[in-house]
Amino acid sequence: MSPPLLKLYELQKHYPLDKGILRKPSRFVHAVDGIDLDIGRGESVGLVGESGCGKTTVGRMLTLLAEPTNGSVAIRSDQLPDHDLTDLDKQDVNRLRRDVQMIFQDPYESLNPRRTIIDAVTEPLRLQDLGSREEQQERGAEMLRLVGLAPPETFAYRFPHELSGGQRQRVAIARALVINPSFVVCDEPTSMLDVSIRISIMQLMRDLAERLGVSYLYITHDLGVARYMCDRIAVMYLGKVVEVARTEDLLANPRHPYTQALVSAVPVPDPTYERPVPDIKGGVSRPVNPAPTCRFIDRCPWADHTCESNDHPPLEQVTSDHRVACYHAR
Amino acid sequence: MTTSPQRTATTTGAGAEGPPGTPQDGSDPSGRGLATGRRARLANRIRVLRASFRENWALFKRNRIGVVGLVVIAIFAIMALLHPILMDTVWDPERYHPVVGYSAQEVELTVVEEIENPGQEIDLQRAQLRHDPTIQVGDTVEDTIQPAPPSLDHPLGTDPLGRDVLSQLMLGAQTAFGMGAVAALTTVIVATFIGSVAAYFRGWVDTVSMRSADFFLLLPPIPFLIFLSAIYDLNMVTLGLVFGLVSGAGSTAIVLKSQALTVAVKPFIDSARVAGASGMQVVLRHVIPNVLPLTFLYMMFTVSGAISAEAILSTFGLIDLPMSWGIMIQTANDAGYILRGVEYWWLLFPAGLAVTFLAFAFYLFGRGMDEVVNPRLRQR
Amino acid sequence: MTTTATTTTAQAGGQRSTPLLEVDGLTVRYETLRGDVRAIEDVSFAVGDGESLGLVGESGCGKSSVALSLLGLLPKNARVDAGEIRLQGQDLLRLPESQMRKHRWNDIAMVFQGAMNAWNPVYTIFTQIEEALTIHQRGSMTRSEARRRVGDLFELVGLDAQMMDRYPHELSGGMRQRAVIAMALSCDPKVIIADEPTTALDVIVQDRILRQLKRIQSELGMSIIYISHDIAVIAEVADRLAVMYAGGIAEIGASHTVFGHPRHPYSWSLLTSTPSIKGPLRTLSPLAGEPPDLHDPPAGCPFHPRCPMATDRCAAEKPPLELLSSDQASACWYADQVPDPREQEVLR
Repeated sequence: MSPPLLKLYELQKHYPLDKGILRKPSRFVHAVDGIDLDIGRGESVGLVGESGCGKTTVGRMLTLLAEPTNGSVAIRSDQLPDHDLTDLDKQDVNRLRRDVQMIFQDPYESLNPRRTIIDAVTEPLRLQDLGSREEQQERGAEMLRLVGLAPPETFAYRFPHELSGGQRQRVAIARALVINPSFVVCDEPTSMLDVSIRISIMQLMRDLAERLGVSYLYITHDLGVARYMCDRIAVMYLGKVVEVARTEDLLANPRHPYTQALVSAVPVPDPTYERPVPDIKGGVSRPVNPAPTCRFIDRCPWADHTCESNDHPPLEQVTSDHRVACYHAR
Repeated sequence: MTTSPQRTATTTGAGAEGPPGTPQDGSDPSGRGLATGRRARLANRIRVLRASFRENWALFKRNRIGVVGLVVIAIFAIMALLHPILMDTVWDPERYHPVVGYSAQEVELTVVEEIENPGQEIDLQRAQLRHDPTIQVGDTVEDTIQPAPPSLDHPLGTDPLGRDVLSQLMLGAQTAFGMGAVAALTTVIVATFIGSVAAYFRGWVDTVSMRSADFFLLLPPIPFLIFLSAIYDLNMVTLGLVFGLVSGAGSTAIVLKSQALTVAVKPFIDSARVAGASGMQVVLRHVIPNVLPLTFLYMMFTVSGAISAEAILSTFGLIDLPMSWGIMIQTANDAGYILRGVEYWWLLFPAGLAVTFLAFAFYLFGRGMDEVVNPRLRQR
Repeated sequence: MTTTATTTTAQAGGQRSTPLLEVDGLTVRYETLRGDVRAIEDVSFAVGDGESLGLVGESGCGKSSVALSLLGLLPKNARVDAGEIRLQGQDLLRLPESQMRKHRWNDIAMVFQGAMNAWNPVYTIFTQIEEALTIHQRGSMTRSEARRRVGDLFELVGLDAQMMDRYPHELSGGMRQRAVIAMALSCDPKVIIADEPTTALDVIVQDRILRQLKRIQSELGMSIIYISHDIAVIAEVADRLAVMYAGGIAEIGASHTVFGHPRHPYSWSLLTSTPSIKGPLRTLSPLAGEPPDLHDPPAGCPFHPRCPMATDRCAAEKPPLELLSSDQASACWYADQVPDPREQEVLR
C-alpha cells in the first residue's frame, strides 16, 4: 500500500469555557481529543457521529480554519515536502490551500450573495495567482461544465440567489476543485438538499473524485449517505474515534457498542423490516474536562470495572482493516 | 514533485505549477468557453442592476415618506444645479452674485414715526439724516433699501447687504450638498472599515475600535466642532471630514459592526479563507460588500446631521465659507434683523426652512431606504 | 366526491367505515407579490381511528400547508378555493374561528417541527403547557390538577416530571421534543399532526421519539398524521402514506404496498434515491431537474418535466388519482409500467 496522503496523529482541539482577560481557563470542552486517522490518495473516508461529537471540528482543523491544541496532521503535498499542518508559516499555509479544499453544508450561505458564479468559482485561482485572467475564466467555465452547469455562459454571470440549492452546491464543488486539490473536506454537503437533488450531487462528487483522483473526508451524520459515498467509515463519539473499518464491514459487523446502537437506530425504508431496539442508555453530554476513562462508559451496556479502572481504550486492530476502541469488542 | 496519473488525466491537466486552464493542444487561448465573455458579463451586470433597481424601487415606492423625502431632495438638487446656469444667462453677476453682488431697490418711501411695513415706509429720524433735515412725517422720499422685500426682480428679496436671497439660497444648497457628500462619504468609508475589521478580526482590534467608538459616540458634536473651529479654520471640506469622522468612528461604526458580525459568521467567509484569502482580502471582498446596503442607509442620516451642524456653526460665524444657509442667517443676525424676523421674514425663513426641509428630507429618504435594505421591516 | 360504500382513492389502503378525519378535494392558493401560488391542489385523503398516515414529499410540495389547513392556521394570504375537511362528519373549513378554536388542540393537536422554536424561552415548560390547558379546557382546572396532568403526560412521553419546572434552554433537543409531544397530548386530541417531529435530532434520539410516539398511539388509540421529507422515517411509523408532489397527491396507499412496489415514478424515485444501510446497496437513480415553480406549474402532469417515463400525453393531460387495487392509488397514466425498485442494479 502506498503511504497515506494524510496522516492525523493524536489531533486535539480543546476550547476554553471560562475565558477571562487575566484568568487562566480551567474548564475545557474536549471537542476533539486525540484522533489518529490515515487517508489514502483517492480514498473517501466518512467521519460519522452525532451532533457535538467533534466531526466538524476535525474538518475545520484539516482546512486550517481552526488551530489544533495538540497533535499533528501530516500531508503529502505536491506543493510542499511532507509537512505538518500544525506548524506552518503564512506562505506555506497559502500554498497548502491548493491541496486542501472544502465543500460546505449550506449551499444558501456558502456563496457570497454579491459575487457572480464565475467570480466564486475562479476566486481560488485569483487568490493563488494562477494564470492570466483569461486562463482563469476559461478554467472556471470548464469547471462549470464539469459539474453539469452547461453551457457555462448561462450560469457564469448569474448571482447565487438566481440558482437552486442543487445548482449552488454544484458551484461550491466547482469552486473547491478548481485548483486541483488532492484532498477535499466535505461537511455534510447534501444534508440541506431535497432527496431528489441529493443523489445527483452525491453521484457527481463520486464521479469527480474518480476522475480527478481526489480524496474526500466526508463528514456526515447519515450512515446511508456515508455508505454510498465512502470507502471507509470512522465513527466518532465525544471527540474520540471509536471505530474505523471498511464501509460494508462496519455496517454489517459493527464492533463498538456505540456503532452498534448507531447502526440499529437508522430508519430503514422498508416497512416489513423490524429494526432492533438500539442498546444504549441516557443521552449525550458535553465533554467538559472529561474523565480519562472511556467516553462511552455511562451509556454503554457492557461497561464494567475494566472500563472504569482504565483509560480510554486505544484503537486496536481487530481484523486487517477494522480497528475498534473498546475493551470488550468481540 | 509527485503527480499521480489520475491528476494528469484531468481534462485541463493543470499540473501543480502550471497555470490551470492552459490549453495543451494549442487551441484558441482567448477563453473559448466564454467567447461572449466580456459582452455577456456587461450585459448581465446591466440586467442584474436593472432587475434589482426595479425590485428595490417597487419596495421603496410603497413607503410614502421615503418618496416625499426623495422629492424634496430632488427640488433642492435642482436649485443647486440651476444656480450656475442662471448666473450665466439671466442673472447679471453685478446684481445677483450671492456674495459680491449688490442691488439696491429704488422705492418711494413714506416717512413715518415708526415702521410698520418695511419696504414702504422709512422712519423720520433716518429720513432726516439721509435726505433732508426738514422732512416731516407723511412726506415721501425716493430711497434705496436693503434688505428689500420680495419683488419681481428678487423673488425672495435682498439681504441687509443688498444681495439676492434666492441666489444665496441656491448657492447655499450647493454648499449643503457638498458638505453632506463629504461627510457621508467619510462616514461610510470610516464606519464600514472599522465595523468590518472589528467584526472579522475580533480580539484587541475589536476592543480598541469599539472603545474609541464609545468615545466618539459620547462626544457632543456641536461643542466639539465649535472648539475645533476655534483652533482651525474650518471650511466646507474639513467640516464635512470632521463630522463624517466623528459619526463614522462613533455610532455608525457600532451599528455596522453588529451588521458585519452577522456576515462574518456566514460559511462563505470560511469558504474564502479555505480558498486562500488573507484576512484583509476577506474583509474587503466578502464582508464589506455585504454590509454596504446598510452603510448607504446611515449615509443618509449623516447627511441630515451634517447639514444641521453646518447651519448651526455658520450661524455663529465659525466657518470659512463664501455662502451657506447658516451664513444667510448670520448676516441677518449681525445686521440686527433676527429679532424682527416676522417683518423681515425673507431674511430668516428661506434659509431656516431650507435647512429644516433638506435635513428632514434626507432623514425620510433614509427611513424609506431602511425598508429596502432591511428585509425584516418589509411588510409582505 | 363523496364517501361511498366502495373504497375511494382517499381511503386507499384504509378502513372501510366512515373515517375520523376526511380531507376532500382541498385546494389552497397563496396570494403573493409575485402572483398566486398553488400550494395544495385537489388533495383528498382520510384517516381512520387509531391509524397513522404519512405525508411525504420534498420542500414546497404542500405537506406543511395541509397540516396548517387541518388546524385552521393557514397564513393570512392563503385562500381555500375548494374542498372540505371533515372531522367526524363536521366540516372544519366552514366553521367560524371561535368554533375552530375549540377543535384545535382539543380534537386536532400539532407537534411542531424544530422543538427549540416551539417554546418561549422566558417561561418554564409547565407554564406553557398549563396555558394551553387552561385556554382549551376553559379554565376548569386548578393549578394542582394541571401539575398532576402535566406530570402524567411527562411520564407518558418518557420525561422526568421534575423537568416541567425547567426552562426550555435547560433541556436537550430530544427532551424538548418530548415536551412538545406532551403539550400536544395535553387536551386528549383525537388526531395529532407531527410535522417533521424528529428532523433536527440525532438518529438515536429520533429512534426513541418515534418508538415513544408509536407506543403512545397504540396506548391512547389516537390517529397520527406524520409529515416528513424522510421516506425511511415514514416507512417505520405510518400504516399508510401519501406521496405529495407540487401540491397534489402523486400516490397514496398502504405502506407495505407502496414501499413494496410504488406505482408512481415520483415515489419510485424517492425510494430509489434513499440509500439504505440494510440489504444490498443498489444503484441510486437521481431525478433530473428541479421541483416546479408553483407560480407557474407545468401543464399536464406536474411531474412530467422530470419524469423518465413521460410521453406527450403526460405533457397534455393531467392524470387523475386512480385506484389500482383496494390499497393503492396513483396519479400516473402509466402506473402499471413503473418498475420494481428491487430491479435496480446491486452495487455492493
